Amino acid sequence: MYKRILSLVFVSLCFHAGQIILQAQEFKLLDRTVQVHGFFSQGFIYTNDNNWLTMNTSQGSAAFTDFGLNMSSQVTDKLRIGAQGYDRNLGQLGEYHPSLDWAVADYRFKSWLGVRGGKVKTTLGLYNDTQDEDFLHTFALLPQSVYPTDLRDATIAHLGADIYGNISLRYRLGALSYTAYAGHRSDSIYSGYPHYLSSFGAEIKSFGGLQYGADLRWKTPLKGLLIGASRLNENITGKGSAINPFDLGAGLVPYSESSKADWTNQFYGEYTVGRFRIDSEYRRYWRNQELFRGTSESFADVRGWYVSGAYRICKRLQVGSYDSRYTITNTVSGALSVFYPPATDTNLPANHDYDKVVTGRVDLTKFWNVKVEGHFMNGYGSGPYPNGFYTQVNPNGLAPNTDALVVKTSLNF
Amino acid sequence: MKNHRLLPFVVVVMFFAPVRVIAADIKVIANGSVKADAISASEVKSVFLEEYNSLRDGTHVEPVLEKDGPVHQAFLHEYLGGTDDDLQNYYRALVFSGRGSMPKQLGSDAEVVAYVARTKGAIGYVSAETIGEDVKTLTVRGGNGAQRRLLTQVEPSYPDTLKRLNIGGTVRLRLTIGPKGNVESVEVLGGNPILGESAAAAVRQWVYSASHSRTIEEVSIPFDSDR
Repeated sequence: MYKRILSLVFVSLCFHAGQIILQAQEFKLLDRTVQVHGFFSQGFIYTNDNNWLTMNTSQGSAAFTDFGLNMSSQVTDKLRIGAQGYDRNLGQLGEYHPSLDWAVADYRFKSWLGVRGGKVKTTLGLYNDTQDEDFLHTFALLPQSVYPTDLRDATIAHLGADIYGNISLRYRLGALSYTAYAGHRSDSIYSGYPHYLSSFGAEIKSFGGLQYGADLRWKTPLKGLLIGASRLNENITGKGSAINPFDLGAGLVPYSESSKADWTNQFYGEYTVGRFRIDSEYRRYWRNQELFRGTSESFADVRGWYVSGAYRICKRLQVGSYDSRYTITNTVSGALSVFYPPATDTNLPANHDYDKVVTGRVDLTKFWNVKVEGHFMNGYGSGPYPNGFYTQVNPNGLAPNTDALVVKTSLNF
Repeated sequence: MKNHRLLPFVVVVMFFAPVRVIAADIKVIANGSVKADAISASEVKSVFLEEYNSLRDGTHVEPVLEKDGPVHQAFLHEYLGGTDDDLQNYYRALVFSGRGSMPKQLGSDAEVVAYVARTKGAIGYVSAETIGEDVKTLTVRGGNGAQRRLLTQVEPSYPDTLKRLNIGGTVRLRLTIGPKGNVESVEVLGGNPILGESAAAAVRQWVYSASHSRTIEEVSIPFDSDR
């Protein structure tokens, strides 16, 4: 009994010490307040069959860690600067190679006109810019049809500038928020697409290019209802080396792929009433690439949408569910077409991934939560653009159905 | 022993217990550098959601919050909607995406008044009774800067006994009007208490034009025994 009391006291002390450490920090520098915030999340995934998200999930995998730390300061009434470092390990992705997540100087002339430059998080749909911050979301994994975590680098940020603002509409018509941006996207070679290409013997040295687009969202007069649309255009080039597909014994040859047309349209809506929130998004990604210096061409039409609902039962407990649908069709022309027959039937498991999800989130404190989530997937939407299922961890092929248990906890301060 | 067995159950129930919202009267205060004397409820919301960093007259503004408590709950209820957790998550989304800062959050009315008094552009809220000599109190108008229009007015009854005795005067009332225009609550601020009761019963039936949020209106109702 004595030992039990002692251990309870010890656990309680550790918990409170942790809470004190986790309080957001701020300090003065050159008479300006600098805020420091950070987060950490750790997940575990077990699947009944296919390995998912480059992890050996069929054995149960905890290679699902990320964390970030940021500092920011309001330098003048209108100027704010800040930066965030981010690191993650997701199975065979990330591998703890740290990156500069964002680093911005933000000058706000008026409420309706501001400019931010540097490395800026890309505004695309409801959650693109906050997809890494697990503690902001009900779900341990956002709908992968629209926010594939293995491909986060493709949309997460650009090195360039945004103009943005908020406009209140007259006649009680609500308010508009707009963002327009242009910049350079640069994918880590430890991200999903280079990893996918490595399964064909390609070794990518660089992947990125021009990215520009806009987002417009309307807070409608109906309280709690927001709708919006985003558009993203890209001109991406990937370079490296690859096994010559026509002569496997000839060694490596230069590999290149570049955009002929590369755009994303996304439409979304969110409605919040009391403790209930429902949101839905549709994303279409059209990708037309020249491969091997124009000797072949690939056309991929990726479509994803989801409907999600979440209900806060009480302060500490939230439940949610979503239905996420992903389809991909692809055709290849030119020399490589002999290896890639047209894939246009979205009823085939290789060309879709339907994911039904239920989740429960418990907020242990304001800064610490735990989520338990079930995924019931049909299809694996495997290519030519990846969506969670990779041959490197599924060398014996993929089964049509996958059930997954995801447990995740995250801390923030 | 049985009580001890119930303890884990009690702890779990307390852990998941719903939040209790305690009502409090609040007022919006600002640093002297803020030129405006009045601000619309929608502007209050936009300032505290960091959508606005300046008012229509160009004055720079910066929100200051109270930490969770009756005053903060009343402010959320009155102007922002949602819970404190929702609001904190909103701010965290700004902070972690590089789009904003965590606003100053202070522990008491006195701290908010002191901070607002010394910080250019600061706008905060405190309980209505708080006295702050170095800050200005902003009048908050109905949604989108418009006064709420009275659509249905019911005249109060003048009790015969009081009228015969020439007991009259003016009753001052503070009304909380819901977004749909119904009068949600009435507080008698001054005047004869019996007449106050009569006036309150009448204004509870009044209907105002709809608005984005709850607003507070003060009305004066005269009771003239000579009429």
